[in-house]
Parts: sequence; structure tokens; C-alpha cells
Amino acid sequence: MNIEDLVYNAASWLSGAGDADGMVVSCRARLARNLAGWAFAPKTTLEDQKKIIEQVLSAAQKCRPMCDAAFFHMNTLQANQRQLLVERHLISPALAKSKGQRGVLFNADESLGVMINEEDHLRLQAILPGLQTHAAWQRVDALDDALRSELDWAQSERWGFLTACPTNTGTGLRISVLIHLPALVLTEDIERVMRGLVRMAFAVRGFYGEGTNVVGNLFQISNQATLGVTEGEIVEKLSEITQQIISHEKEAQAALLADASAQVEDKVWRAYGILQHARVLSGQDFMNLLSAVRLGCSLGLIDGLPLGFINQLMIVTQPSHLQAEASADLSSADRDVRRAELVRRRWAEQRGLS
Amino acid sequence: MKKCGVCNKREAIVSFTHIVDDVKQTLLLCHECASEKNIKVLVVPPAQAKEAPVLVKEIKIELAKLAGAEGDGGVRCSTCAMSYEEFKKIGRLGCPHCYDAFASQLERLLKRIHGDDRHRGKGPLEAAQSTGAADELERLREELAQAVAEEAFEEAAQLRDRIRVLEGK
Repeated sequence: MNIEDLVYNAASWLSGAGDADGMVVSCRARLARNLAGWAFAPKTTLEDQKKIIEQVLSAAQKCRPMCDAAFFHMNTLQANQRQLLVERHLISPALAKSKGQRGVLFNADESLGVMINEEDHLRLQAILPGLQTHAAWQRVDALDDALRSELDWAQSERWGFLTACPTNTGTGLRISVLIHLPALVLTEDIERVMRGLVRMAFAVRGFYGEGTNVVGNLFQISNQATLGVTEGEIVEKLSEITQQIISHEKEAQAALLADASAQVEDKVWRAYGILQHARVLSGQDFMNLLSAVRLGCSLGLIDGLPLGFINQLMIVTQPSHLQAEASADLSSADRDVRRAELVRRRWAEQRGLS
Repeated sequence: MKKCGVCNKREAIVSFTHIVDDVKQTLLLCHECASEKNIKVLVVPPAQAKEAPVLVKEIKIELAKLAGAEGDGGVRCSTCAMSYEEFKKIGRLGCPHCYDAFASQLERLLKRIHGDDRHRGKGPLEAAQSTGAADELERLREELAQAVAEEAFEEAAQLRDRIRVLEGK
């Protein structure tokens, strides 16, 4: 597979399925695993890393969930191509930046992936659309089972799966939801909700995970503790918390409509108009406008615009996607023009469909 | 430790800011002196409820304390040769054996991070295979009983066959 072809691939986790309230874009379950008998990433030599990749690839070939997977070695990718994988949530920003023998394996619909030689030897992930935390866990669990029948994990009875960083020790499970909370941001209740989450040992991050900013009112919420709890409990707790946040957001949306319905409707419909007609759109601008349109869908103001369309737009307008589509390096100003053009074109196609 | 500004003995746990004649004054108080002045002390949230940056900072402090108290900065993992000192710096262990080499230090650290120091999740492969089959058998037997009770004999026969296959394994 040619990596640029990914631009035209609709990742299944963006489909908008399982998102009854138009709030939870996706959920992700990831497992940190290391091979027994090898040093962890900080102590591995290039030769070790090479052998680890070989072992993982040979195991993956024999495992059913990964039989159609494509593998990309980081050394064979340009900076923009790596960034493309980051934008599609297939690799972490850390893997894109790091040197050495590293790679990523992912299946055709991009719902399952394995980063090799990131902070741990393997980082398995399953991403699904909407709030399907249980299903995401089951998929990554099945992938783990399939791989470990071929590979020997580093683990101990007392501390479970052994990871390079003690913050992942135990289950190695981090489960997260990508959730859109525009009304809580507008009513400024978001701080309170976030503080509550942190008090309950949940982490709140930006669009691309650790160390990234919140854009377009999208928050990533995940568990902190991985030791002393079962995987089922972690998943259950996160689902519960997410349901609570959804009801807070719904309350905030109702309050907004009650207090300032004209202003809210105006914000939504202006965004709707600008996105379809603008000639220059910066990334930040675009994400904020798209957030308003998504809010319009949540509120039932906008009818007939599929969430899958909104989700897809969010990814294809990212800088490296624009560059890959143009097959050229673009300046920031060029990208803003291209972004506006792409959004107009996609929107026109969407109108044609509906 | 900051001392209480009133008794000058106990540890100050609350900072009290008040304005006298347009001048802002901040007073550090211990629990006792604060309650005497009728200042309500909010309960500090539990240890596991910390934001990542705070947590990382605490881990570092904890690590420094451990090193100071036990003079174990020189402990080394015999497999990968990582020293505890080095782990403190990079925050990543060198190999699976480091968990044994630094067991006593890690025990406290893990408890601090996760609020627990014992794994309760997924077990080794062998255990999973045996319990997986056992769970499946139990489920099938329940379904069989249900099917028989409902007189769904065709389904019951299928279930019986699957149970036989699993038992034969």
C-alpha cells in the first residue's frame, strides 16, 4: 500500500456510528506490552530493535485480526508521511519524532494497530466510533490473545504486565474517549467538570493525546490507574464517567438554548455558512467552526448532515493530509486556501448525496 | 515544612488571605490554629486523584526521598545494568528484571501512582486458556438447562454437542 492512499481511505472509527448524542467521536483501548527476554526501549540496541520488529511481524502474520495489516517502517517514511499517520491516530507524536528501528502495523479499516518499539516494544490499539468502550476493549484483548500465543510477554504474577514506565504497569490498559463538549466550554462549566474528573483519577488531554492542546472543544478522557484494577473495571468506570459527562453537556446545551437560543442558533448557522463559502480557513478557525456545526447537529438544529461526514472532514483538513493530497509541500498560507477549497468541495459532494 | 504563623510549631496546611486597611496579608496556619480562628479547612483529595504533571512531580520527589532514605541510588539491575539513579532521571525502567532489582522502591512508587501495588487484571496465557474453557463450559451448561426447560430440544442437542467437544479437549 502507498501511504498517500490513506488520504482517500475512510477510517472506520470516523463513521459516527454508536454516537447517539453526537458527542463521543470515538473510543480507543490501548495495551502496553513487552517481550520477555529483551531490554525495554531505553536500553535496546538497534540490533535488538530490528529483531523485535521481525518477531512481532512474524507473529502478526499468523494472527487472524492482523492478517490483512500493512506495515510501515519509520525509517522509510518522510516527516510528512509520519505526520500523516499521527493525524490518523495510527501512531503517537513520540513515535513520529523518534529515531531507530521503529514501525507501525495496522489493518485495512484502521481499527486495529500495533506500534513497535515506541516506549514499549508493542503498543496495541483498537479504535471504534462512538461510545463502544467495551467492544474496543474486547477487540484489543483478542488481538493481545492472538499475539501472545506466538510471543512471550514480560509479566509477573504480582505486578502483571511489565512496562518501561511504571505508570502503565499492571494491565497496561489505557482506555479513552474523544468527546465534544462545546456547551460546557461556552457556559464555562468545563473547568469544574475537568477538576471532578482529575479527582476521580482520570486524565484529560487534547486531540492527539499526551501533551497536545484542546482544539475544537474536543477532549480526550482516559484512566490513570492501571494496577490493582481489572480491565473490566477500568472499562466500566470510564463508560460510566463518560455517560455522566454526556448528561452534564446535555444540561449545558439545554441551558444555552433556554437562555440564549437566538445567539446559539446564530453561532451554529453562521459556522454552517462560512464553512461552505470561505476561501481561506486556518486550522484553528476550521476546527472552531466545525465544532459549532457539530453542536448544531447535537441540538437538532441541523438535520441530515451525517456525523461521519463531520468526523472525516476533521481529519482530511489536517496539514499533512492537505500536503499529501496536493503531493507538495505547502506553506501555511497555501494550506489555508487548500483547506477552504477542500471543505467547499466535500460539502458540495455531500449535498449531492443527501 | 512551613511552620504555622501563629503557634510557630506545627506544620502549616492552610493559607489564609485577608485584607486589612487595603493591605493583603497571607497567613499560613496549622490545622489547630486554623480551627481556633474558625477557618474551615477543605479536605485534600485522595492521593490517586492527581493530574499527570502533579503526579510526575510527586514521583520525582518520592524517588528522591527513597534515594536519600535508603542510600540506594547505587542499586543496579544485574541484567541491563540500569542504576536506580538513572531510572530516576529518565523515568523509564531498563528491562523486565529491573522490577525485581528495584522491587522495594517500586512497591512504594507503584502504590503512589495507582493507589495499589498488586495486579488484578489479565493473567498469563495458560491461566486464560484454562479459565476461558471453564467459563465457556459453565455458560453452555446454563444455556443447555435453559433450553431443556424451554423444551427447545434442537438447540439443546447442539449445545450438548458443543459441551462434549469442549469436555473432550
